Amino acid sequence: MRSFELKKERSKKYRIIRALRILSQFFFFSLFFFLLLRTRFPGEDYIGDVEVFFHFDPLLALTTLLASRVLFLSFVFSAITILLTFFLGRVVCGWVCPLGSLQQFFSFFFKKTKLLNPKRSKGNHTALKYYVLAFILISAIFTLDLVGIFDPLSLLYRSFTTSILPVSSSILSNFIGIFYRIRLLSLGDNLAQFFEAVDINDTFFQGFFIGMIFIGIILLNLFRERFWCRYLCPLGAFLGLVSRWNLLKLKIDPEKCTKCNLCTIHCQTQAYPFPNEEWKSSECIYCFTCSSICPTNAIGFSLKATPEEINKVNLSRRKLIFTIILGAVAAPFFRISPSKKRASEKLIRPPGALSEEKFLQKCVKCSECMKVCPTNALQPALTEAGPEGIWTPIVVPKVGYCEYYCSLCSQVCPTGAIRELTVEEKTKVKIGTAWIDKNRCIPWNLGDPCIVCEEHCPVSPKAIKLVKTEVKLPDGALKTPLTPFIDIESCIGCGICENKCPVVDNPAIYVTSVGESRSEKNQLLLEIIQTGKELA
Amino acid sequence: MKRRDFLKNAALGSIILGINPSMMAQQNFPDLAVIHGDSPSKITREAVASLGGIKRFVSKGDVVMLKANIGWDRTPEQAACTNPEVVGTLVELCLEGGAKEVKVMDNPCNPARRTYARSGIASSAKKAGATVFYPNKYRLRKMMLNGEWIKEWEVYSDFIEADKIINIPIAKIHSLSKLTMGMKNWLGALGGNRNQLHQNINAAMVDLSAFFKPCLTVLDAYRLLIRNGPQGGRLSDVRIYKTVVAGTDYVAVDTMGATFFSIKSEELPFLQLASQNGDGEVHLEKLRIEKRKV
Repeated sequence: MRSFELKKERSKKYRIIRALRILSQFFFFSLFFFLLLRTRFPGEDYIGDVEVFFHFDPLLALTTLLASRVLFLSFVFSAITILLTFFLGRVVCGWVCPLGSLQQFFSFFFKKTKLLNPKRSKGNHTALKYYVLAFILISAIFTLDLVGIFDPLSLLYRSFTTSILPVSSSILSNFIGIFYRIRLLSLGDNLAQFFEAVDINDTFFQGFFIGMIFIGIILLNLFRERFWCRYLCPLGAFLGLVSRWNLLKLKIDPEKCTKCNLCTIHCQTQAYPFPNEEWKSSECIYCFTCSSICPTNAIGFSLKATPEEINKVNLSRRKLIFTIILGAVAAPFFRISPSKKRASEKLIRPPGALSEEKFLQKCVKCSECMKVCPTNALQPALTEAGPEGIWTPIVVPKVGYCEYYCSLCSQVCPTGAIRELTVEEKTKVKIGTAWIDKNRCIPWNLGDPCIVCEEHCPVSPKAIKLVKTEVKLPDGALKTPLTPFIDIESCIGCGICENKCPVVDNPAIYVTSVGESRSEKNQLLLEIIQTGKELA
Repeated sequence: MKRRDFLKNAALGSIILGINPSMMAQQNFPDLAVIHGDSPSKITREAVASLGGIKRFVSKGDVVMLKANIGWDRTPEQAACTNPEVVGTLVELCLEGGAKEVKVMDNPCNPARRTYARSGIASSAKKAGATVFYPNKYRLRKMMLNGEWIKEWEVYSDFIEADKIINIPIAKIHSLSKLTMGMKNWLGALGGNRNQLHQNINAAMVDLSAFFKPCLTVLDAYRLLIRNGPQGGRLSDVRIYKTVVAGTDYVAVDTMGATFFSIKSEELPFLQLASQNGDGEVHLEKLRIEKRKV
């Protein structure tokens, strides 16, 4: 680099464009984060379109369409992304994508701290993401929806909701204690009130696991700039395919070019700006790093009225066929588990969730519902829903319960895997049924009074009835406390009873999924008995 | 000097001097004010006025803590939380009485952000000038309650640090204590696993009330929750009663409230216990009760 210092005359124009790009990334990342924080109880029953980012994602649109065979209208916005990419290339990756911005930030950070020394990358590893894409699309055709694991927006949202935010809030809330200790009482009070107001759910079973994956993805930037975007991102691959006839082209002025290779070394996504004819438009994310660092101002971008076919993505036919076969067998492979045979008792889905099969075809594991849940009840599943249901939302009453007058999760679901419900409709949805463990229940076992489950039951009339029952104590004496009984028909399975039960370790009342409205098979009471209709 | 002597002297003095000393007047306040009327705010004002006005309870520069019931994610019409107008009016009154700050806080059963908003209490109290805040676990202190049953428990120190506490419960049916009014309201000032207190709820209510000792209790009986307590749900669980009861004797206030449900104090163990401890009066016939319509 030093040898060129004498004639360094970088392009002012492209440095301004680059600054604008950084500004744009900052803006969209802030918007993403702002909407993430706003995804909480808004003080009223209905929340605005805080999930709108997802609707601009054409990969989510396509895979949910393929897997569920249902078009979800909110995804019309993704047409904007497609059009933009079709004409201007992958500008969305470089200028908008919040995960991309984060990758770029850490690449920059690692470069500045000399932890990463960019070099001219060889090999065709950028093709990897196209195989990931092919696998996802093919398996989606076979109704297996795995896009949520890899989609950059889902990945980022999930990681923030279940690990980054809980960790940050726990670190920051330590300051409350510190402020109190050094007698800055009002500062401590204000911070505590602030935390209550931003309402961050801080307990997630898989927060650690999901967080480690996220940190891993960030650390991959130590090896290559924007590692994720370069090699793995299926959305990037999809947009790469869409962008193949785009109009925004890189041109190197051969008169000015000193063949220093700086552009290619520092290219964020291995698009090979130099030599010009090797430049891959489908890899370029239009970050304008090359044109702004070129020491001789030799690189420019211009709109070409006549689209030209660029260098094709170098996919090996054999590998592609192999991937397609892999995608095709993935569905049965993921479904060896017995979840199809018998409903899992712990698989309590949020209210409005479609029947399990349809739900899994639509859920993109984004964690919007887990973020908005006012009680932290929604948790990412691990094995409860089988391998394909990993990180899909389940209600875990030991952590939180389903709030009676709340339908927020159904409102923020970006794909309609949880059908949008009014609060009125939601109160009629049954997500499971409560059961009493008489061996652990205080009145049933000790004969002492306790009506906590009944008191908290939100249904009117209550689904938990109190009945005076004779209970025999260890010394043979008799007591007649009020003992809880469950009216299975009116119980909606919200789980507040389990959540509030004073038998804290393993509550004496617990909810299982049986009876859930969304399932035809997972039922206990027969329709004919419930409605009183006779068979004839 | 014995109280009776003092009164005699004061009465004599006032006759001689031809003035009416304020000490005298205070003795003449009714024990309970039971005010009936269409406007929750008007009956609240009237009830406090009947007891001698807010200045009797709040001094200039006081920090006043109002303990409303903001326990449930329910709207005012469902009568699970204190009427927001009653709370707002009391905030106004305390500020008019010279309070430096009026605070409103409750540790609810459903998430605070929801109960504060949907009960309408946060907005009405804020509008009236109160500081409304969410329970803050860093302000919990393990306190010696020295009760008959509860020896120590975690209490929100906001209640201990305040100069005056005013209790503003709502009258509701409850499956364990039969009724929840003023004395049961104190569970909302606690942290810890308070659900365990249900194993001896009556003793807990008595101990907690004696510990917190509000200077005034204003029972909101504008809407009575008569079924499916303590959170109700359907509007048919609610009976419009348009009344508030105010008094300094929290046992008497709860005893009066119970009569609205046609429940006698003998049927309520917490009132019996409190009466035995000498915490207050359960025999309404011994009290001076001012009943009025506005």
